[in-house]
Amino acid sequence: MTNASALPIAAAAAASSTQLNTAIVVGFILFFVVASIVITWWTSRSSKSASDFYVAGKGVPWIQVGIAMVGSYLSAASFLGCAGDIGVFGIDSIWLSIGFFGGYMAVLLLIAGPLRNVGSYTVAGALHARFPDNRIKLAVMACTVVISTFYLVPQMLGAGLLFEMLLGWNFVWVTIILGVLMSIYIIFGGMKATLYNQVIQALFLWVAMVVLVVIAYFTVGHGSFAGILATAQQTVPPLLAAKNPAVVDAIKGLPADAAIATARQIMPAAESVMSIGVKTNSTLAMISTVIALVFGTAGLPHILIMFFTVPSARAAKKSVTLCIAALGIFYLCAIILGFLLYPAIYPKLVSWIAQGATGVGLAKNMAVLEISQMVGGPWLMAIGAAGAVAAVLSTSAGLMITVASSISHDLYKVYINPKASEKQELNIAKVTTLLMSAIAVILALALKKENIAWLVMLAFSIAASAIFPAMLATLWWKRTTRQGVIASILTGLVVSVLFIIMLLTGVKNDPLFGLPTAGGPGVFGVTASFLVLLLTSLATKDTGKDAAGFLATAHKPDVD
Amino acid sequence: MPIGATPATKPVTIKQKAILNFGLFFLFLFFYLGAALLQTPALKHIAGLTTLGMPFGLLMSLLIFPVSWIIIIIWFLKAK
Repeated sequence: MTNASALPIAAAAAASSTQLNTAIVVGFILFFVVASIVITWWTSRSSKSASDFYVAGKGVPWIQVGIAMVGSYLSAASFLGCAGDIGVFGIDSIWLSIGFFGGYMAVLLLIAGPLRNVGSYTVAGALHARFPDNRIKLAVMACTVVISTFYLVPQMLGAGLLFEMLLGWNFVWVTIILGVLMSIYIIFGGMKATLYNQVIQALFLWVAMVVLVVIAYFTVGHGSFAGILATAQQTVPPLLAAKNPAVVDAIKGLPADAAIATARQIMPAAESVMSIGVKTNSTLAMISTVIALVFGTAGLPHILIMFFTVPSARAAKKSVTLCIAALGIFYLCAIILGFLLYPAIYPKLVSWIAQGATGVGLAKNMAVLEISQMVGGPWLMAIGAAGAVAAVLSTSAGLMITVASSISHDLYKVYINPKASEKQELNIAKVTTLLMSAIAVILALALKKENIAWLVMLAFSIAASAIFPAMLATLWWKRTTRQGVIASILTGLVVSVLFIIMLLTGVKNDPLFGLPTAGGPGVFGVTASFLVLLLTSLATKDTGKDAAGFLATAHKPDVD
Repeated sequence: MPIGATPATKPVTIKQKAILNFGLFFLFLFFYLGAALLQTPALKHIAGLTTLGMPFGLLMSLLIFPVSWIIIIIWFLKAK
C-alpha cells in the first residue's frame, strides 16, 4: 500500500474512531442522566415532609452517607485536576491531592459527632441551638450562599469546558442543561434523591480512578514505582519545556520516553518534575493553601449538613471514617496517575501548554482523559469522561440543596414569613434551587477563563475563615460568646471575600500589603477570624442560654 | 434542647474528649504542616535527600495517608 492511498484510509479510520468515542462517551453520560431521573422519580414518592427534603428523614444508613460524602466531595477538580496539575507543574502539585484529603481529619476529630448531636437541618441551626439569635442564622446563611456559589461555579465551568474540549459541544448549552438537570432532581427528589445519586456517582468515579491507575501502572509504569520516579527525575517540567520552541519542535511525533530524553538533551540544566518550586515559590502561599484546605473542609456547609441525615453521632463518625479511607485511596491514585502522565503523554502535555493559557487549561483538564484513551482505548476514556461528569453532578447537587435549605429555612422562615407552612417553605427551597442554577450558569460564563482548582480553593478559603472558627468554638469552648461568634463569622467572610475580589480583579501575582497572595486568603482569613473570636469572647459575657447543657448535648456518649 | 448527661459527670467527659480529639488532631496537623513545609523551596535541600528510594519530601507527603489512618484507628480505640 502506498502512502498516498494509506492517508485517506487513516483519515477515515480516525474519523470513525472519533465517532465511536463520541458515541461511547455520550452513551455513558446518558446512562447517568437516565439513572438520575429514575432515582429521582423513585425517591420522590417517599419524600413528602420538610425533614425528608432537607435531611432525608434523618435515618439514612452510615455506609450510604459515607459513600455519598465521597461523591459530594470529589469534584471535577479532584478527578481531572489533581493528576493534571501534577502533569503540568510536577511534584509541587501533589499537595493539591493531599490538601483535599487532609481536610476530613478536622471534620472527623472535631466537628462530626458534636455537630450531629446539636444540629437540625442546616449549619446555622447548630449555632442557633446554643445562641438563639436570628442574626447568626442570617450571617451563616450568607456564608453558605457565598461558599456554595464559589464551589458550584467551578463545577459548571468544569462540565462546560469538558464537553467543549472533548466533544466540541457548546459551552453555554452544556452548562444550562446541567443546571436544569440538577434542578429537576433536587426539586422532585430532595435530599433522598441527592444521596442516592451521589452514592452511584461516587462508586462509579472511585472505581474509574482506581481501574485507570492500575491499568496505567502496569502498562506505561511497567509495574514499578521506582521506575516511574526515575523517569520523573529525568523529565523537564512540561511548563518549562513548552516555553522552549526548540524542545516543542524536536519532540513532535516522538514517543513519550524519547521525548523526555530529547527535552533533557536540549535543556540539560533545567529543573525536573521532581524539583520543588516550579509552581510554588512562596512558603507562606503554600501554608495558606494548606490551611484553607484542611480547615475549609470542616466549614463546607454541603459536607456538614450530611451529618444530619444519619441517625446518630456514632453513625456520623463512621460515615466520615469510611469517607476518609475511600478518599485516601482515591487521592493516592491521583498522585500516582499524575506521575504516570510523563511516560504516557509527555509530548502531548508539552504541545498543549505551548498553545498558551488555554493550552495549560487543556493539559490540566484533558490529561486524565488522554491517558485513559492511551492505556484503555475509547471505552476507558469514555468511562473517565463519565466519571468526571459524575463528579460534577454529585458535587453540584449537594451544593444546590444546601443553599436551598439555608435560604428557605434560615432566611425565608426566619425573616420573611415566620408563619410559613412546611409546604410554603419547601416551595421556596425549590424556587431557590432554580435561581441558584441560573446564577451558577451566568457566573460560569463570566468566569470561564479562571482556573477551576483555583476557584474551588477560594471556596475552601471562605469556609475555613467564616464557618470553621465559629463552629469549632461553639461546639467545644464554653467561654465562646454570641458576640464572638457573630464577629468571627463576619470577619472571616469579609476578609476572605475582599481578598478574593482583589485577586479576581488583578492582583493575583502581586503581593498585597507586602504579603504573597498566590496561596489565596486562607491563612489571613483564618487567623483574623480566630483572633476576633478569641478577643471578642473574652471581652463579652453572653455564652448562650445554657452553655453547659449545650456542650453536654453536643458531647453526650455515643449510641448507635 | 435535650440534655444528654448529668451535670456531675459532663465537665470531666468533655475535657477528656477534648484532650483526646484535639491531641490527635494537633498530632496530625503537626505532621501535615511539617510535610507541607518540607515541600517548599526553603527546605528543598532536605526534601531532596533520598530515603527509601524516593525524595524525603515526597515520602513524608505520602506518609500522611497511612498516618491519618493510624490516627483514626487510635481515636476509635481510645474513644470507646
